Amino acid sequence: MLHLSSWEIGPIFRAMTRNKVGAVLIALQVAVTMCIIVNAVHILMERTMQMARDSGIDEANSFYLSSTGFADDFNDQVVIQTDLDAIRALPGVIDAMQINAIPISGGGWSMGLQTQPGAEFEGVGTAVYMVDDHVLNTLDLELIAGEAFKPSDIRWRQRSQRDWPAEIIITRALAENLFPEQSYQDTVGKTLYINDDEPVIVKGIIDKLQAPWVGWERLENAMLSPEQTLFSSSTYFIRTEPGRLDELMPAVEQMLADSNKGRVVRGLRSMQETRDRTYRRDQAMIKILTTVMITLTLVTALGIVGLASFNVNRRRKQIGTRRALGASQVSVLRYFMLENFLISSMGVILGAVLTVGLNIYLVQSLGLTKLHWWLIPVGMLTLWLVGQLAVLGPARRAAATSPAIATRTV
Amino acid sequence: MFNYYLRLALLSIRRNPILSALMVAAIALGIGASMTTITVNYLMSSNPIPQKSDQLYYVQVDSWDPNEPAEEPNEPPEQLTWTDANNLYAAQKAQRQVIMATTAAVVEPPSQDAKPFNAYIRLTTNEFFPMFDVPFLYGGHWQASADKGREQVVVLSRKSNDKIFGGENSVGRSLRLAGRQFTVVGVLESWYPAPKFYDVGTGAFEEPEDLYIPFLLKEELQLPNGGNTNCWKTPEDDSFAGFLRSECINYQMWVELPEEQDKQAYLAFLNNYANEQKALGRFPRPLNNRLSDVMQWMENRQVVTDDARVMLWLSLMFLVVCLLNTVGLLLAKFSGKSAEIGLRRAIGASRQALFYQHLVETACIGLTGGIAGLALAYLGLLGIGSLYGSFADNLSSLDINMVLLALLLSLISSIAAGLYPTWRACSIAPASQLKSQ
Amino acid sequence: MLNMQNVTKIFRTDLVETRALSDFNLHVKEGEFVTVTGPSGSGKTTFLNIAGLLESFDDGVYDLDGENVRHLNDTQRSRLRNEKIGFIFQSFNLIPDLDLFDNVDVPLRYRGFNGSERKRRIERCLELVGLANRMKHLPAQLSGGQQQRVAIARALAGEPRFLLADEPTGNLDSKMAHSVMQLLKDINDEGTTIVMVTHDPSLAREAKRNIFVKDGKVSDVTHISASAPEPIASISASGARHV
Repeated sequence: MLHLSSWEIGPIFRAMTRNKVGAVLIALQVAVTMCIIVNAVHILMERTMQMARDSGIDEANSFYLSSTGFADDFNDQVVIQTDLDAIRALPGVIDAMQINAIPISGGGWSMGLQTQPGAEFEGVGTAVYMVDDHVLNTLDLELIAGEAFKPSDIRWRQRSQRDWPAEIIITRALAENLFPEQSYQDTVGKTLYINDDEPVIVKGIIDKLQAPWVGWERLENAMLSPEQTLFSSSTYFIRTEPGRLDELMPAVEQMLADSNKGRVVRGLRSMQETRDRTYRRDQAMIKILTTVMITLTLVTALGIVGLASFNVNRRRKQIGTRRALGASQVSVLRYFMLENFLISSMGVILGAVLTVGLNIYLVQSLGLTKLHWWLIPVGMLTLWLVGQLAVLGPARRAAATSPAIATRTV
Repeated sequence: MFNYYLRLALLSIRRNPILSALMVAAIALGIGASMTTITVNYLMSSNPIPQKSDQLYYVQVDSWDPNEPAEEPNEPPEQLTWTDANNLYAAQKAQRQVIMATTAAVVEPPSQDAKPFNAYIRLTTNEFFPMFDVPFLYGGHWQASADKGREQVVVLSRKSNDKIFGGENSVGRSLRLAGRQFTVVGVLESWYPAPKFYDVGTGAFEEPEDLYIPFLLKEELQLPNGGNTNCWKTPEDDSFAGFLRSECINYQMWVELPEEQDKQAYLAFLNNYANEQKALGRFPRPLNNRLSDVMQWMENRQVVTDDARVMLWLSLMFLVVCLLNTVGLLLAKFSGKSAEIGLRRAIGASRQALFYQHLVETACIGLTGGIAGLALAYLGLLGIGSLYGSFADNLSSLDINMVLLALLLSLISSIAAGLYPTWRACSIAPASQLKSQ
Repeated sequence: MLNMQNVTKIFRTDLVETRALSDFNLHVKEGEFVTVTGPSGSGKTTFLNIAGLLESFDDGVYDLDGENVRHLNDTQRSRLRNEKIGFIFQSFNLIPDLDLFDNVDVPLRYRGFNGSERKRRIERCLELVGLANRMKHLPAQLSGGQQQRVAIARALAGEPRFLLADEPTGNLDSKMAHSVMQLLKDINDEGTTIVMVTHDPSLAREAKRNIFVKDGKVSDVTHISASAPEPIASISASGARHV
């Protein structure tokens, strides 16, 4: 049998106002905890979403390494061709090519592309990948419009060479950035201008390929330029059959080192490793924030347990009296749960205000994004729940108080 | 009397072990978390060269595109062109000046056992070493004549000397670098400025380079560009010389200007130089030249990452929660002692005496929490070190300042947390607790 | 009203077994005012706890208002306490954080009365004990006698058939004790059965019947005439026990 009157909200509230400090302390704790947790979860979600973005390539089965020649008789062009032929011939290798920069690695080459010639027009920034005709297969890209590079399209690029090949392939995102009003299919064959006025023609469109810089707002703007580079150092990108990466990485490194003593082979790294390194700070932030949230919740919960236990001890006589006057164990339990609920309610309401306040500060001064509104009710519910769970133990001990305490005089 | 209070405090702590442990744990966690992030922020924002950071200036001149600034809002470009670096260096208008860039090349050690490796190299001029107070283990820096004469001399970091020469005094010995024969003139002591203030372009907390060679060897040996290269205009021809002559920026310059008037004079010189260049058809933008001292430059380059700031804020709030927690628990603890306090008051203890007694107890708890917090901060920094990898190598150590700060912080915060409960406990009237309730 | 037959309560520790009550027999009729006296440790408080359903017992029969309470569960016992018994304690046991109104309200809340009914009863009972004008005061603002009057109001608010008083004047001076006793007698005259535990023989003389408990047994029953009671004296010293 439940009567609303036996919920004692009024008396609990009035008793609380006579014992403000304890209640205010818990409420403040709940409020600040909520503020931290909700903002931390927000940052966490933001980072997780950033990290979940697809680079467009077959990361799980790809790796790369660099070769730098130093011997006087070192012939880049010959060595690169020999190396690539040897790597492609290895069992387990799907394909390989030379590339000037690695997606999501942090270092690369960018250019501006514009739809009209002239220095006065603003360009659209894009990452530049210098690749050969094996690119689609090596990076696992899908050509969604136009044509792929043919072997005859590929040229050699000298160290300080300034001009660009006649045709390029661009990502769908770049196409849509350049021609916002047109569908990407229609951009095939269009002329773009690089270096203000040098024309290049869009030969094809690929679905997706990320730039090297993950913090860049135009991360998916990338172009493929059909050329192999004759710079001081060459990087080979290799895609293997699933499961053969671990065995092929050292094998390729050894093979290259053995084939020519006039060079240094270095920088052997898998794409997975590259991703880990690139997102290391985000990973770290996620771990730190998770630790903070867990310990903080624990601290707050322990604080509630501590204060509630103390209050139960202090009010033993009172509880006994209530029991003697007819309070059932359930009513005593309910009394403490309800008391905590009321305090938590004040806390989470203040917490909601603080949360929004901190978020506004973080948005303004540290460039975070705005909070999703629904995180606030979720945060409130969570802290209510934490409070109720924390107080459950002390409340059960209170409920177990014998009514005979009431007749004890000391 | 203090000893008596200390004994009473220990007794009281032992009487409520769980409550006391909760308080110590709360303070320890709060201190641990905030000290970890304070340390990271402190190290990130620490002055890497305090003795002369206000005399060293980073030089920026605006050689950029007339249509848009190098960086919004109207910032001059971060680096210099080859032309400007060489012109400004040649003018020798500052007490000391250094121009520099990074590159990489293969090193072939003289010993047959050591394998060739790709080394990261700083191209610089001879005053780099005295200007930044770089310590030498063996030998010293090259002379200005070596810069001018493009001599093939090299200064090794201690680490690369260990690698190439097994740690011996290698001054006078030679090694092959980028296919040429170089002579070692000096070996550095271990030197890890944090932040790596003289060039934060490729990471403010990376290790210094392996080798140092004269700046003009860039042209001589056609060495590749390290760091960031940005161009607003295409070079005029395909040659290496054409690239050097272009408006591409890849070079940094620092000057040493001891007095404010030196700085003003140098700035005037820069403006004058920019105007001369305008006359030659370069520098199409309005005058926008800048001298930033070390700390201003660190601020400008946002060396303290936003993540570190966010963590600092969150951990300070964490400390607040822990302290609120402690206030609550202390309040509970002291109000449980009201009978004892009433009795002591009745016997004749002054309110002040009781106040001290409880303050001592609070301080004991606070200090214990602080020491435990230090241990946690140490673990926290180890954790940060392992999470961030090499980035955090120079950022996750506790120095004596931090240890003292942690202890002070814990003491102050626990006493602040203890003041109200102590005051409440001591304002009990002597008689009120003697009657049974 | 209250009928105990051979009620036995044993306290066990690892080493000893103490018979706090053994074969305790008592029959209280409706409308009676019975005092229970006896030396310290005689079992008075145990009797009181069992009679008030605050403690269980090991053997025997206890009927309260015709209901055998031996095997009731905690919730049923709570309800019975709430509906049938009014408690008055030696140290009043008012809840310090609640004002007089809310204190008297406590048992009524558990009873499930609606707001207006509770208000009516609280006001009437506080009126009865002469404290209606102090409803918003906290217990600490009242004298001991006044606090005990509030406790009595609280005990009466549920209109119980049966009042259990535990040394109700033990913490009061003689003048206050007298007025509290008078109040109890008035309540008894209205028809409420009262059982009062006291260690003070002079108080016992005020009741209609006195039961003397010794070693957990009823050892003597005295019927007292309703004639003029002797003045109550020398009770105030008992407070010293409780420091």
